[in-house]
Amino acid sequence: MSGRVIVITSGKGGVGKTTTNANIGTALAKAGKKVVMIDTDLGLRNLDLLLGLENRIVYTIVDVVEERCKLKQALVKDKKNPNLCLLAAAQTRDKSAVTEEQLKDICEKLKKDFDFILVDCPAGIEQGFQNAVAGASEAIVVTTPEMSAVRDADRIIGLLESKEEIKSYKLLLNRVRPNLIKSNDMMSVDDVVEILSADLIGIIPEDTGIITSTNKGEPIVNDEKSLAGKAYNNVARRIIGEDVPFLDLEEPKGVMAKLKKFFSGLTGKEK
Amino acid sequence: MDKGYIENGFIVDVSNANKTSEIIYELSRILDLPDAQSKKVCLKLGSVNLTSTELTSIKALVESMNSEIEFISTSSDETVKSAEDLNIKVSFLENKVPTPEFNADQEKVNRELEKALDKIFGDESSDIKTFAQEEDLKKLKEELPSEDVEKVANIKPEAITPEHQMETIDNAEVETSEKVENISANTSDEIKEELENFNSQLENANKIEGEDLEDVDFNLDDLRKSLRETEKLPTLYIQRTLRSGQSITSDGNIVIIGDVNPGSEIIAKGDITVWGILGGIAHAGSAGNQYARIRALKMNAIQLRIADVFARRPDNINIPYIQKTDTFVPEEACIRKKQIIIHKIHES
Repeated sequence: MSGRVIVITSGKGGVGKTTTNANIGTALAKAGKKVVMIDTDLGLRNLDLLLGLENRIVYTIVDVVEERCKLKQALVKDKKNPNLCLLAAAQTRDKSAVTEEQLKDICEKLKKDFDFILVDCPAGIEQGFQNAVAGASEAIVVTTPEMSAVRDADRIIGLLESKEEIKSYKLLLNRVRPNLIKSNDMMSVDDVVEILSADLIGIIPEDTGIITSTNKGEPIVNDEKSLAGKAYNNVARRIIGEDVPFLDLEEPKGVMAKLKKFFSGLTGKEK
Repeated sequence: MDKGYIENGFIVDVSNANKTSEIIYELSRILDLPDAQSKKVCLKLGSVNLTSTELTSIKALVESMNSEIEFISTSSDETVKSAEDLNIKVSFLENKVPTPEFNADQEKVNRELEKALDKIFGDESSDIKTFAQEEDLKKLKEELPSEDVEKVANIKPEAITPEHQMETIDNAEVETSEKVENISANTSDEIKEELENFNSQLENANKIEGEDLEDVDFNLDDLRKSLRETEKLPTLYIQRTLRSGQSITSDGNIVIIGDVNPGSEIIAKGDITVWGILGGIAHAGSAGNQYARIRALKMNAIQLRIADVFARRPDNINIPYIQKTDTFVPEEACIRKKQIIIHKIHES
């Protein structure tokens, strides 16, 4: 088995890298793939919290690198899905505890046993970013429809293009608010795609459910009703290679809107 | 120094370090603690070879923190030579620090820990142990097989008389080393049986003496001895909140006046006492002391480890943060029946 190593990065902090990682990982595992997530945000780890695995971590990536344990021992299995594993970051160390070579090595080893290796990248473009990107061959750039996030994403794409190992990169637009786009208060999806001229892999709507899911340690893809959860599931399916149309984010309001939507569906106007 | 530790000073154990950079990293981390400044430092080096230049830089680092090197201990001849050049005392620390007998079994502890971890992480079907709360204790007691009740009756007459206990304590000093070996040699079944006997014996002892010994495990003599050993250990006293990412390791006991936030860790060979909310990872008795305790005003730890026993916070308890209240009920964690239990510290 030779797994795909995908790094999830953004440049700017707080746009949803870790949330994206946790949800795509969970969705891929639900689809029957063997997935391992690597948290490379040494010293500021969060991925374990989002997955609710914090209390299970004994060994971290630094213990693996410094040979205090075997790689297999450090992999924390998910509570629900045995296909999903986490290699946690050390909280008591900083980014310099791991080198690019070491991370590359870990990715190579994990490739043999897993279909997907998702690398959670820290914010910024320093050592942590370089480490995270080192072992990857694909990248997902997460951004929000805000000027600052888009600028940083542009910078990141530039850096990714200069790396030979990164064969392809895709754009994931997070925290989209259709209402604001409609009233021209937010950049539209097309605007962002045009500025960055990159392929889109998913559009995730802003969802208050994300906050509760983060606090609970339960990825939102497990919530069937959530729109963001659906969107993340679709991203996972696109990663696997399925052709899934983008979600219609506009929530129908009231009976009239629902009827309207129903009819537009009938006449095939829906995009 | 006769007391086994340095007065107004502490021991920095960097015997695992292979490089000068590692020693300096560890040293600067420890010396950065406010409690560590202006004190004498005893450096415990391993087999690493240090040139006099490297040793000078280490000395300078220590002095820059207003501390001074009292003496070093090393197993490398080259380091000894460089130390002599710099007029640093070389001493053998091992003989001066009282090492409890259970220290010798480090390898066994590691093995047990690994086994326990395999059980938890390797096998999905097996149940994962979580903290046993006080209510669970009652269940544990109920689980005792009924046969043991008869045994209790047999033991009773011996266990009651206080004189007898005094005797056993005195003997313990001589015999402990043997006892430790015995325990490690026993098969798990035997230990279990012994345990159950002992627990029922204890319950009797409680009734008569009126002393709060409910949480005692294994062997009373061993416990008493262990308590004395723990008392002798140096204690690191910290008066601040430990925040995420910070880690404190000590060869002795650790007392923290303040909270221990999630993401931080405390590792001590002796006991750990937190005058605040314990929210991080705590490992007491890291060298294998089964009787080590972890105490806190509020126990909300992600993970608790005592010697080779491991427990984690149950998944169904979902507290993102603990609200600070005026009244706390102090709790204590210890090992009982090879499992970590948490119980309230009652007034006595």
